[in-house]
Amino acid sequence: MNFKEFLTRLQDTVGQENVVHHPDDLLVFEYDGSVDRGLPEAVVFPASTQEVSQILTLAHGAGFPVVGRGTGTGLSGGAIAQPGGIQVAFPRMNHILEVDTENRLALVEPGVINLDLDTHVRKSGLRYAPDPSSQRACSLGGNIAENAGGPHCLAYGTTTNHALAMEVVLEDGSVVNLGSLARETVGYDLRGVFTGSEGTFGIATKIAVRLLPVPEAVRTFLGIFPDVGTACTAVSAVIEHGIVPAALEMIDALTIQAVQNVSDAGYPDDAGAVLLIELEGLQEEVVEIGGEVEAALWETGATQVRTAEAADEREQLWAGRKGALGALGSIAPNYFLVDGVVPRTKLAQVLGQVAEVSRKYNIPIANVFHAGDGNLHPCLLFDERQPGALERIVEAGTEVLQVCVDAGGTLTGEHGVGLEKKEQMPLVFSEDDMEAMLSVREAFAPDNHLNPGKIFPDGKSYTPKAHPASPGMTV
Amino acid sequence: MNLSLHDKMAVLLGAAVVLPVNGYEVDGLTPQAVVRPGDRHQVAEVLRWASSEGVSVMPRGGGTRMGLGNVAGRADLVLDLGGLDRMVDYQPADMTATVEAGMTLASLQQHLAPGGEFVPLESPLAGRSTVGGVLSVGTGGPLAHAYGLPREWLIGIGVLSPEGVATKAGGTVVKNVTGYDLDKLYTGSMGTLAVIIEASFKLLPVNPEAGALMASFPSVSTAVSAGRKLLHSPVAPMGYHSVTSGVSLRLPNSASLDAGRGEPAPALSLAFYSGRAKATGRRLEESASLLLAQGATAVQRIDGPAVNDLLRWLTDFPAKMSPSSALVMKLSVPSKSVLQASDECGEANLSGQSPEQLADPGFGTIRLIWAKAAGGKGNIGEDSFQETIHGIRQIAQRYGGTAVVEHCPLTVKAQIDVWGDPPDSLAIMQRIKDKFDPNGILNPGRFLGGI
Repeated sequence: MNFKEFLTRLQDTVGQENVVHHPDDLLVFEYDGSVDRGLPEAVVFPASTQEVSQILTLAHGAGFPVVGRGTGTGLSGGAIAQPGGIQVAFPRMNHILEVDTENRLALVEPGVINLDLDTHVRKSGLRYAPDPSSQRACSLGGNIAENAGGPHCLAYGTTTNHALAMEVVLEDGSVVNLGSLARETVGYDLRGVFTGSEGTFGIATKIAVRLLPVPEAVRTFLGIFPDVGTACTAVSAVIEHGIVPAALEMIDALTIQAVQNVSDAGYPDDAGAVLLIELEGLQEEVVEIGGEVEAALWETGATQVRTAEAADEREQLWAGRKGALGALGSIAPNYFLVDGVVPRTKLAQVLGQVAEVSRKYNIPIANVFHAGDGNLHPCLLFDERQPGALERIVEAGTEVLQVCVDAGGTLTGEHGVGLEKKEQMPLVFSEDDMEAMLSVREAFAPDNHLNPGKIFPDGKSYTPKAHPASPGMTV
Repeated sequence: MNLSLHDKMAVLLGAAVVLPVNGYEVDGLTPQAVVRPGDRHQVAEVLRWASSEGVSVMPRGGGTRMGLGNVAGRADLVLDLGGLDRMVDYQPADMTATVEAGMTLASLQQHLAPGGEFVPLESPLAGRSTVGGVLSVGTGGPLAHAYGLPREWLIGIGVLSPEGVATKAGGTVVKNVTGYDLDKLYTGSMGTLAVIIEASFKLLPVNPEAGALMASFPSVSTAVSAGRKLLHSPVAPMGYHSVTSGVSLRLPNSASLDAGRGEPAPALSLAFYSGRAKATGRRLEESASLLLAQGATAVQRIDGPAVNDLLRWLTDFPAKMSPSSALVMKLSVPSKSVLQASDECGEANLSGQSPEQLADPGFGTIRLIWAKAAGGKGNIGEDSFQETIHGIRQIAQRYGGTAVVEHCPLTVKAQIDVWGDPPDSLAIMQRIKDKFDPNGILNPGRFLGGI
């Protein structure tokens, strides 16, 4: 089947208006939140599992690789089509199918926006805990693919700790259910290994997620520190008190400057770091533990500490953190966000090394990150219009990742490997490690037809294990 | 040359590593040899050899759950991993720890205690259960409502393939999406894909205050529905369990006796709490009132070390009861359905006897224990077992859950899949097994659907 015939068949399947294929219209699907680009041959908008299945069956038969696309907020190139590939996107599959308050779970289609689900279930006193910074725009399908995180994952875990079950369409169009609404299942934990497989195993068409009760009390603390070093000491001090806050976030001086450029978040000009801590629980808990947090902030050198319990006041304290990435635009037109993770105790040391990389390459680096779980987000600021800028940024970014790995950390905490970090995989994993991973892909998608060219270095493919002996032999 | 497997192992690893097979029988199968390597290199050597010779390998931790799973197709060699029991790394300030798989859960907790931390894994017989064994089984305990399953706490894993090749997944940091999450795949895989050698966990701080409530109820139904109300209140416990009188009678003290009447209540609920003192106090107080308002006939508060004793008793109970029981099953259903499922299970007789129950309406599990027939062995026909098991499976299915047979007579076990009907994803599971263990030497046949 040539592409033209394939296109006609796609149009027959979902309707002409639900297939985008004109090059001008495709431009917005060329990129996600990362720096990589790739123009798909077509983008298809299915309305049902059956349509997704038909699309995948068609594409499989015709030999056009497929990538599922949520809303394109990903930061690792996960949703970018490889040459000759099509995208399947889910603006039409955006329904919250069921909210089961008794079982505390929701059944959603993949196109449902993360924050929309949370807002919807809060009416019933429930919440969806994983809250990526892009939660206003990112979709649950994408969250599953990337095993998305967010500030509140410190206390509640990432997407994988909340995804119970999913209906999945495999590369050949067959439909299979993974996981179950009961918490314990039998057999291999396929929904566990599917979550975070970056769209290479299948496309989730229905997703069941766990909901948690909204806590009785929430208290937010904002500490201003002279520099990131002292702020890191405060992080350790909080942890040493046996406290695991709901969220523990930090932004550094350059980010503070960017935030203040855009609108006054109330940060002093000379602030070197801002630490945000949120506690949740019973009223008694946030008061008692809050007292300890506040004391720890002062004792470790905070110059100011603010607290809030009312929702709107807490929102104000969060405003600077939540607007931080957008505000970086006031300093440079582009940023390259590195998602490395390090052990909490290495934060100060690694931030120092990141500053050295910044000096060495003469690239400004702004840090805005999940300090509580050691998930750094150094943002390398640049202007992509300058010749050679992107290459230098990628080189510097790789050096930052090497620093993270050397400190006992890893490449990505919540954004995925995608295109961006696939060549760095050998920094963390051996050939054998990757071989084991690829053998799982081989079980889900033997033709590697879904989101090919991601996660693993170019040229890395699955080699079947030899059968050295005949099974059943006895000694 | 006609060396026995035992002798071949002695040649390969030295005689000290090869143990007598006594006590290592599983489901009536006596292995040809048992090895207990002292380090991972020896484990790799055993696997390389077994793989090249097509010898089947049964990995073993503390041996506390060896009866779980189907009767193995073969059990040539038992690989006892108890010798791999080192603490690899523990940084209290990072709240992470890396341990070898053969360390017992109790020993791991002891290593973490001076740091004021613990790993939220739960397992019966924690003094014998090993980290690798707990992960391989992958199930939760009485506080699963709060802590979930072992999968939630595992952040990295080191395994040996059936060919003895070392691989890892995850890492030692608490948040990680680098590569596929094989941690999840190995957890709960019953040693059918690889041999777990090392594991890294995220930890939690030990709460300063713990408390529990014991509430008597006129029936399991009222105990469970009161529990549902409590679990959905702001003062929800970390775990809530309703048990029948046949279970509560076995409590180590007479606390189960309904206040004043000196007789055991038909049902008893146990609720567990921990946290800061003030908040825990409020939870206990308001919970007690709520339970009384919801039909409890008496509520007793438990403080201090007795809380942990009670929790340990409840954690161990099914394992301790299994040998003297005819049949033990575990249902997993969506939490709301525990009430109806528990009612229906109460009617599921085995040779005229209704089951004792331990119901967890927070996490959604019900453990059913049928006592051995009065007057000795062999009184219950195989057909009766099949019928009861089938009945329970139908209940589980009706509520979208599963029912695993954890203990039954060997003759019955040989005829059923203890895991129940396989899900529609079985084909993917079989392909995974085939990729990881193409010769089928790891625990052949013990897992779901003949894997």
